[in-house]
Amino acid sequence: MLRNLFLGRSASVRRLVIAGSLISGLVGVAGVMAQAPMVDITPAPGTIAITGGKLLTITHGVIENGVVLIEGGKITAVGTAASVKVPKGATIVDAKGMTVYPGLIDAETRIGLQEIASDRTTNDTVEPSDEILPQMHVYDAFHSESEHIPITRFNGITNAIVAPASTDTIPGQDSFIQLAGRDRDTMLMVRDVALAMNFGEAPKRGGRGEGAAAGGARYPSTRMGEISQMRQALLDAQEYMARRSRPAAGGEEGAAPAASGGRGGAGGAGGSAFSLRNEALIPYLKGEKPVVLGAYDGHDVETAMEFAKEFHLKVILSHVTKAQDVLDKIASYHVPVIVGPIFDMPEANERYDAVYRIPGELQKRGVKVILASYNVSNSRNLPYSAGFAVAYGMPYDEAMKSITLNPAEAFGMGDKLGSLDVGKIANVVIANGDPLDVRTNVKQVYINGVAIPMETRQTRLRDEYWPKK
Amino acid sequence: MSASIPRITPATAIAVVFVLSVIAPGAVSAQSSTAPVDLVIKNATVMTASHGTIQHGSVWLHNGKIAGVGATVSAPAGATVVDATGKYVTPGVIDPHSHSALGDDVNEATSPVTPSMMMIDAFDNRDKALYQALAGGVTSELLLHGSANMIGGQAVVIKNKFGLSKEEMLFPNAPRSIKFASGENPKRVYGTRNQLPSTRMGNFEVMRQAFEDAKVYRKEWDDYNARIAKGDKDARMPHRDLKLEALADILRGKLLVQIHCYRADEFLTEEAIAQEYGFKIRAFHHALEMYKVGGKIAADGTGIATFTDWYGGKYEMWDGIPWNAVMSMREGVRVALKSDSNDHIRRLNQEAGKMVHYGGATEDEAIAMITLNPAWIMGIDDNTGSLDAGKDGDVVIWNMDPLSTYARAEKVYIDGDLFFDSSLPGFGTTHFSGVMHGSGFGAGEDDDEDQGEN
Repeated sequence: MLRNLFLGRSASVRRLVIAGSLISGLVGVAGVMAQAPMVDITPAPGTIAITGGKLLTITHGVIENGVVLIEGGKITAVGTAASVKVPKGATIVDAKGMTVYPGLIDAETRIGLQEIASDRTTNDTVEPSDEILPQMHVYDAFHSESEHIPITRFNGITNAIVAPASTDTIPGQDSFIQLAGRDRDTMLMVRDVALAMNFGEAPKRGGRGEGAAAGGARYPSTRMGEISQMRQALLDAQEYMARRSRPAAGGEEGAAPAASGGRGGAGGAGGSAFSLRNEALIPYLKGEKPVVLGAYDGHDVETAMEFAKEFHLKVILSHVTKAQDVLDKIASYHVPVIVGPIFDMPEANERYDAVYRIPGELQKRGVKVILASYNVSNSRNLPYSAGFAVAYGMPYDEAMKSITLNPAEAFGMGDKLGSLDVGKIANVVIANGDPLDVRTNVKQVYINGVAIPMETRQTRLRDEYWPKK
Repeated sequence: MSASIPRITPATAIAVVFVLSVIAPGAVSAQSSTAPVDLVIKNATVMTASHGTIQHGSVWLHNGKIAGVGATVSAPAGATVVDATGKYVTPGVIDPHSHSALGDDVNEATSPVTPSMMMIDAFDNRDKALYQALAGGVTSELLLHGSANMIGGQAVVIKNKFGLSKEEMLFPNAPRSIKFASGENPKRVYGTRNQLPSTRMGNFEVMRQAFEDAKVYRKEWDDYNARIAKGDKDARMPHRDLKLEALADILRGKLLVQIHCYRADEFLTEEAIAQEYGFKIRAFHHALEMYKVGGKIAADGTGIATFTDWYGGKYEMWDGIPWNAVMSMREGVRVALKSDSNDHIRRLNQEAGKMVHYGGATEDEAIAMITLNPAWIMGIDDNTGSLDAGKDGDVVIWNMDPLSTYARAEKVYIDGDLFFDSSLPGFGTTHFSGVMHGSGFGAGEDDDEDQGEN
């Protein structure tokens, strides 16, 4: 029985995580290059009962003195102590005085794509050689042993949507990650979960855009260029799609489109040749999966949405931190919106809280608001973004949703993650207070019903050097 | 504060007056204080930063200074009263490492030794970053040169009286500080140009050579001044070199030395060089590995100004752990938190809150890390940084415990004068009604200290 979460894991919980502990014991602190120990999340037989805590269920309110039962990696019961019967032989985790909530979901990070920001050899955040690269897959670069992963889940973040950096108009496809697993494949919950698309300043070639480093302005160096190039790419892909679905006998079949809009154009090598790029766009042109449209300024948001309408894309909007002037319009789109980073700076001559207030203002207008870190090593601070949203007008329950259920639903995982509900994957966090408060300590994280060792490269350094007084 | 800390000398005062004289008059409305003679903030939870927290306490400001702090204060009957029931009061937040309001003039990255650079020459008192920091409760900042150079420039210390003129925003009689750097940044900046320094060996060689040159220069001037003092009319005045003069002033102990430094081994090298040339290091900035050698550095009397939880931006940040501040404090190091960022300067109170989380700082210790301790690092702790009688009336009223995520600064007083009130429409400013300047692209950041994405 785990009596005191402050002092670490009891033997009974240790039994559940024995594989992870053994592996982590072999890894020293000294190495600079990142190789965080992997954690097996195969659930052990039996039931775990987290008892006595304050449950933030997300979907059905707060339950004081609640019980969560976990079995086979799933949540099997959630309710008051009076209503949930703890089966005999269950491993009881005493969470009295603690807060229990679903694992947090960071809706946009680069975790696994970057280890040390300044070292190019540890960076796979974006492929800068072209602008339209839907055939780039985050999962091909995702480094499942990144040291940032244990550090992030240490603060209660159990899932992440890993996206390429925003310096291409179409930099590739995002992956939905479980932040623990025996190997990379266990951690990839959805390999291609969404397509990233970026508008405005960041993807420009030349000027301030990333492409400037490549020397001088090249196409596309303006917003006009970005849109024209993307439009051409999507038209090419539509044409490709139509041609492929047509019966093989057609006389025109196989003819290359006249204008392909540059490298990697519609047919690539022409005609009916298989095109990775066009193939990658098909599920998005069919509206089967969402595109994440990154735009900061109001007019860029409008441009992005008009573009999406033109191609009937299923949209998740992202950023909107300089779009205070079009909040009503954003609400009228009826799409989920990832806001942030909430710590983006207001412009000169805006009120100091102009960005802090956007999540609450959008939520008030009926928008499904999501918050994200858009970061790597700061992903662990995701809950504080939600805390700031509360400080500046967002209701607490909605802020919790913005880092749990809302991202789960927007990325098609609403039936599996994001709340304490029976049948969902048992990603559960126990903390000694309000998860959104900077003073709160996470005491135990469960992923797939497995107690994850609360140990990181940083805790090992801490323990090695802790003052001996 | 110890008596040995130098204040601005007549010579530098002349230099400062010269600088100020070229500012266009009337560029910003230069209003005098509108502070009431007596102001009492009542019924608040008063976090003093120096002597604990007082429940249902009062703070009395008289002529811009703190006149009394306690369960009761003996303010005159006519005092202006602010009822702060349910609210918290702290000293103004102080940031000992900011590059705000310097545009993109943070680094004179053309030579690894540039001690005659005066950051006041880049200071834009209309920069929006000052306003945004004020709204986060920041009343004083140390505006530092960047970290491209082993020996950078001389800082400007400001009071964040946003809306007043440039000269009115200078912290009166603040000691001079100079920024040093070390490690990856100087060697990257010059190494990529195939110049010295391109290694850590080169970094410290550049530094030692600078002080060797400064020793010669100081002796020339000391000899000259000694001859003048003896009435020697034939004494010939040596050449005046601004760079060597600044370096000589470091050797004379006239400047507070603020060193950008991450790694444990480099703290030790820096202390050894300081000892060799006879100056003191006031603080290591960033100092992410101080937890490894805190006891040794504490004995040298050097403090730190550190990030709470940044790591991973580069190799020398890789061993950064969020427990660093509290572990170093427990080893006896004086610890301040700092922003190094136009973003984080707006929420240093929440950064302090993280110290409760990471290592179990008491709330009083956490508050001192963003008030009294940074004031000491800047050498202004006789004047500000805690709620003690006689200090400047730099005070913040918060809607709740400032260490909470949900805390907001509601009123910010500097020298007893209200500069920010979140209940006011518009900006919430009381002395500013003009046009703010943007901070410029990437401003407020010292190149690769920024670990952010996008």
